[in-house]
Amino acid sequence: MRKLIIFLVAIIALSCSSDKQYRENIEEFKKAELFNTSMKKLSDVIVHDIFSPPVASRIYAYPSIAAYEALIHDYPDYVSLSGQLTDFTAPPKPDQGVEYSFPLSSFHAFYKVGKALIFSEDKMDAYQESFYQDFLDKGMPQDIFDRSIAYGDQVAEHILDWADKDNYKQTRTFPRYTILKDDYAWKPTPPDYMDGIEPHWNKIRPFVIDSATQFVPEPPTPFDMDEKSQFYTELIEVYETGNGLDDEQKEIASFWDCNPYVSHHRGHAMFATKKITPGGHWIGITAIASRKADLDLMQTVETYTRVSIALADAFISCWDEKWRSILIRPETVINEYLDEEWVPFLQTPPFPEYTSGHSVISTAAAMTLTDILGESFQFADTTENEYGLPTREFDSFLEASQEAAISRLYGGIHYMPAITNGVAQGKEVGAFVIENLATQKPAVAKND
Amino acid sequence: MNRTLLFSALAILAFSCSQKETWFQMMNASESGIDFENSLTESDDFNILDYLYFYNGGGVSIGDINNDGLADIFLSGNQVSNKLYLNEGNLKFRDITESAGVSGKSNWHTGSSMADVNSDGYLDIYVCTVVGLKGLRGYNELYINNGDNTFTEAAQEYGLDFEVFGSSAAFFDFDLDGDLDLYLLNHAVHTQESFGHADVREKRDDQTGDRLLRNDNGRFVDISEEAGIYGGANGYGLGVSILDFNHDRYPDIYISNDFHEDDYFYENNGDGTFTESIKKYFSHTSRFSMGVDAADINHDGWSDILTLDMLPDKEEVLKRSAGDEDYDIQRLKVERFGYHYQYSRNMLQVNQGDFFNEVALLSGVAATDWSWSVLIEDFDNDSHQDVFISNGIPRRPNDLDYIKFVSSDQIKNKINSTKLVDQQALAMMPSGQARNFLFKGSGDYVFEDRSNQITPYDPTFSNAMATGDLDNDGDLDLVVNNINSAASVYVNQTGGHHLRVRLNGEAENTYGIGSKVFVYCDGKTQYKELFTSRGFQGSSEPILHFGLDQATEVDSVRIVWPNGYSKLITGVPAEQLLVVDTSGWKPLPYQKKKTEGYFEKVPDNLGLDFVHEEDSYIDFHRQNLMPYMLSNRGPATVVADFNGDDLEDVFFAGAKFSPTAIFEQQGSGFVQFPLRMSMEDSVDEAIDGVAADFSNNGEIDLLVVNGGGDFFGESDALVNKLYQQGENGFEQVSFPKTYENSSTIAISDFDQDGDVDVFIGSQSFTGDFGNLPDSYLYENDGGEFRLSQTFEQLGMVTGAIWSDFDADGWNDLIIVGEWMKPRFFRNDAGTLNEVNLMNSDISGLWQMIIQFDVDQDGDGDYVLGNWGLNSKFVADTDHPLKMYYDDFDDNGSTETILAAEKDGEYYPLETFDELAKQMVHLRKKYNRYQDFAGQTVEQIFEKTLSDSEVLEVNELRSGVLINDNGSFTFEPFDIEQQFAPILAGLSADFDADGTDELLLAGNFFGIKPFMGRLGAYPGALLDNGKFTPANQLGLNLANRSVRHLNILDHNEHRYLLVTVHNDSLQIYKINR
Repeated sequence: MRKLIIFLVAIIALSCSSDKQYRENIEEFKKAELFNTSMKKLSDVIVHDIFSPPVASRIYAYPSIAAYEALIHDYPDYVSLSGQLTDFTAPPKPDQGVEYSFPLSSFHAFYKVGKALIFSEDKMDAYQESFYQDFLDKGMPQDIFDRSIAYGDQVAEHILDWADKDNYKQTRTFPRYTILKDDYAWKPTPPDYMDGIEPHWNKIRPFVIDSATQFVPEPPTPFDMDEKSQFYTELIEVYETGNGLDDEQKEIASFWDCNPYVSHHRGHAMFATKKITPGGHWIGITAIASRKADLDLMQTVETYTRVSIALADAFISCWDEKWRSILIRPETVINEYLDEEWVPFLQTPPFPEYTSGHSVISTAAAMTLTDILGESFQFADTTENEYGLPTREFDSFLEASQEAAISRLYGGIHYMPAITNGVAQGKEVGAFVIENLATQKPAVAKND
Repeated sequence: MNRTLLFSALAILAFSCSQKETWFQMMNASESGIDFENSLTESDDFNILDYLYFYNGGGVSIGDINNDGLADIFLSGNQVSNKLYLNEGNLKFRDITESAGVSGKSNWHTGSSMADVNSDGYLDIYVCTVVGLKGLRGYNELYINNGDNTFTEAAQEYGLDFEVFGSSAAFFDFDLDGDLDLYLLNHAVHTQESFGHADVREKRDDQTGDRLLRNDNGRFVDISEEAGIYGGANGYGLGVSILDFNHDRYPDIYISNDFHEDDYFYENNGDGTFTESIKKYFSHTSRFSMGVDAADINHDGWSDILTLDMLPDKEEVLKRSAGDEDYDIQRLKVERFGYHYQYSRNMLQVNQGDFFNEVALLSGVAATDWSWSVLIEDFDNDSHQDVFISNGIPRRPNDLDYIKFVSSDQIKNKINSTKLVDQQALAMMPSGQARNFLFKGSGDYVFEDRSNQITPYDPTFSNAMATGDLDNDGDLDLVVNNINSAASVYVNQTGGHHLRVRLNGEAENTYGIGSKVFVYCDGKTQYKELFTSRGFQGSSEPILHFGLDQATEVDSVRIVWPNGYSKLITGVPAEQLLVVDTSGWKPLPYQKKKTEGYFEKVPDNLGLDFVHEEDSYIDFHRQNLMPYMLSNRGPATVVADFNGDDLEDVFFAGAKFSPTAIFEQQGSGFVQFPLRMSMEDSVDEAIDGVAADFSNNGEIDLLVVNGGGDFFGESDALVNKLYQQGENGFEQVSFPKTYENSSTIAISDFDQDGDVDVFIGSQSFTGDFGNLPDSYLYENDGGEFRLSQTFEQLGMVTGAIWSDFDADGWNDLIIVGEWMKPRFFRNDAGTLNEVNLMNSDISGLWQMIIQFDVDQDGDGDYVLGNWGLNSKFVADTDHPLKMYYDDFDDNGSTETILAAEKDGEYYPLETFDELAKQMVHLRKKYNRYQDFAGQTVEQIFEKTLSDSEVLEVNELRSGVLINDNGSFTFEPFDIEQQFAPILAGLSADFDADGTDELLLAGNFFGIKPFMGRLGAYPGALLDNGKFTPANQLGLNLANRSVRHLNILDHNEHRYLLVTVHNDSLQIYKINR
């Protein structure tokens, strides 16, 4: 009998100490850095699996939204995105009267959705498992743990059901682009002469914008090889800029290359250098800015969510125009008419020229970050360090996005109108998303 | 029929031979004394990424350098010194390199060749080098034989001390002036990242361009430019084969080029110049062309060509290696950049005189992995040519996991910062160690893999090869130069009857290089030409070898010397080295074989200037996994007297968006008829048409059926159209509407009510390939058609005929199509009932059916056109070709997955990337290509496979349904009729002998690059049970996709009208 009592006391004490430890460590579970790291893991797999820029933007958006929707239950000032994003209904609510760790639910929902969208799931498993274990080690009671995971699953499944209906699956079997013989029309480019990427991306359901065609830019300069024509002038600008690049311009072009798959041929040997996508670069900037601004977990998740949604809609809008105008790349025209041996400083990515994706999406992302963190936000962009590129310093997000835009001229892969009109297109998408997507209750937002 | 019998008899014979016995026994270095090993040392700054041909290996030459009757061996080394081994008899060799002075002066040696350059009767040795790359120094070396087992290097004196990127050298007398000239094969070392236009080849690059060197009194002079030899920066020359391919006496040159550059076929003009003619003679070539050899494999006296590539034979390697190009990229290269069609596999090009038929897939020699050298010889002395192929590469740089994943994870930073890849990264490329291949020939196109008769059968990295009779036992032995292991000496164990011929030539060509020898024995011709530089980077013994099977004496041997003089020797005993000199030679009128056909091409086509131009629609862009296109099945051709003037007129349907045309026959020829009304509509793509007086009003009406594989849903362009002649010409009248892709019409008054009724076959639903459409029988009711019978889900119909197969006075219906068996519908007094009259169940990819009394027994046999055996489709009764049809990824659109049997298992034909493009979920299941490679179709698709529908093909051969008192037995045609799909047939008395012959034609190009081009069928005329190739009758139908054959009567002459898909039509006058 005594033994039993002692045993019971011991159990109670143990559980008390566990609970106590959990309470003491509660901030440990809400560290924003855990989310930054998780997002980085997602980026790494996107690079490894070689997702194209538009597809990558979709892969950033849905897991972010899942994380956001699971986390807001700890933050009463935040509102669900249901009803704000196209066809997005309210996720299941957590049960009343029982305790959750919503940060854990949020991470779990993020991983579950993220892993569903990428291929190499095992590459995300290790980190996920290690911090789950860390949560348990730091005293998270098993019931709270299990319940939170279960809730994360519920939210994730809700998001995945919704994602499943965005036409992504259907577009996999939509017709490929048949190369048009017309002079103006895009042709596959060296060295791999890859198929045009995602000719039906405009059929993907957008998040905030009404449709892919909501912000159609003005048409590109008509193809015309008359030496007095506007097109010819713009072509020569690309050619001559490329021939006279200074070191700074080369650095800028390389820094913003963001080509997920640059192919190299050495005889029968081929290999690829892989980098993050343009969207991935802005996810990286989001991480840098969130850290610098010392955002808490909720603010961090909110920021990623807003940026990734703006990116995704910007890609839809841009790709709609690319496959409407189907404009030929400078490399193809220069090789055909001016200089057979000319090679652009950057490898030409495999899709039509107009408008510049980097210009559109960078502007939309920069506007979103400016809206959240302010206009004069200085930061050192180290995103590309791991790909062997230097750090570049910026005084604002828009300064960075403008540099990203002009880098495409230096890279020899875009004419100027794709850049200027691309920036304008990105502004419109960015402004519309900012205006039409609310994450915080109005009063709070004003106080902020 | 006889050939079929012969063929199967041979197959049985071959099969019954024990396959376990040793054909080639490898000798150990300790026994032979040949201890040469081409050891390669990679370093951080010199490896395959710095020099793309780092693994091409050294050279090897066999020849008797001291004229003691024993063949000696020279082996060149890349980083190690060369070796010369003197044959001391009994397969013992002595290394005399040092005393001979041939160890080499350059840093990197490649191909070698032996030839008597200074015509003193002793073989000299020429060694190619790579100079100027990565600090490699030296020059091409010429070792002049002093006649005492020593050599003096004298390249400079002869003008042959080139500092280039050399592959190999071939000595031959190109201008037939009596001395030996030289073709020097060099290779470019930098792959450009873009193709550039093909005319890059016209700009000469001195370091990498090939050279032709004319021997001017012992001094070699570079005449490449004036002779028309290309030497561009895109010339990756790896193989050279020199023979008089076109039998005009002057030797021609075939050059294998790696990568995107076309192979070159230089026709010798006989005036010191060459004309590059690859596109004229070849439908397509190997893509990464490597070694090449040529010999007459089918005993017709014309030399055939085998070029090597790197298509893996094993699934585990195949599916993880970069494969064929995408359809669009290939089109871009052909149409925009001016290259020829090239596919990544070995090509066996059968010489027809005017063109070459490529049959490697049918022959079984298409896939031998990373192959370097090929030698075609009769290795087992059975009188048929066999094939030996060397194989293997230390690292596979085209490994897809390496290309896509390794670089990012392991060497990303290194590449970015230094543009170099280190040892560790190189080590990530998988090894391509592989076994060599040995194929036994049958004299009849088909080769049987006997590689396991090489003992020991171990994987190696084998490059150059040479052959010769090292032990003078009358069969050919082989020496192979290996990377990182001792050179292989393969001693032939077969023995057998043989005749070897050595030619003692005139003054400056002591070995008679370029001579032709015909051996006539047992009613068979064997034909060889003496050129020693063959295969890859090697040269073989300058003796011609003939296996004689059972014969102990040869009827006669004809020798034709390069100058055209000839000598015939009769009654030559076997088992000897026949040494022939020029005494008693006589001039021989030597002429190209002429085709004496009675079909004569009419240059102006009698005014029928219709050109069928296919539209740009690509079916694979909508359904990536379709096995072949449906959109290119037109055009329809209809010959009829439309205007009632008793002269035949012709109707042609255009492709989608191209107008139709009617040509009216007039006295002078045909004149295009202005079209009016509804027929101006150019949207439709008519696949078949028929003219008849459907309305019984005395005027000819026209019914066309539409397809095209592009229009979908209830598109009017899919509706079949009936036109009647009214005041304003043809006017569309009502006809029942259907929306399948229709394919064929067959008409008959099946209900015997005095008007013409119609069967219309359907082939497919656009966007839903694999779903079987209905076909329809329409009954004519006073010019109005009403549906009489629906053949539900009949299949992918391509052809149908009405024929009274049970001879009851009522026309019955036979229907054929793809993925189905012939279907017989008996007409029971106006009602059609399906009956099974087949003795076997033959599901084919049937393309057409035509009635023809093949066995001349008076009843109707039915000839069936099928896909043929010369493609990547393989099928037989035990192992049918399978096509699974379902919505595998559950996204609302269906897919088809093709799987063929290999070693007892079924594997998908398509690559992982092609499958995953359509079914993205596969990328989750397989993160790496190596996980996917070797997976069976069941392992890949698991349960979804068993839930899907399966269509099967168990017969790919064209043949005939022999009518045996109302039941039918399928007899396949001989192998020459299986070279490509047969799409058209016409029965007529072409030669005016009072009985009908059957003319067959075909070829089909609507397939992806991994399948190639099915253009090897030249057509044939079946007469008295015997086929005559159509090219021998004057018809030029090879490498063209023939859709219809019609007879036209014009001005009291008969003409053959040939309708060709996506090309001009052809008219031939029938001169009988």
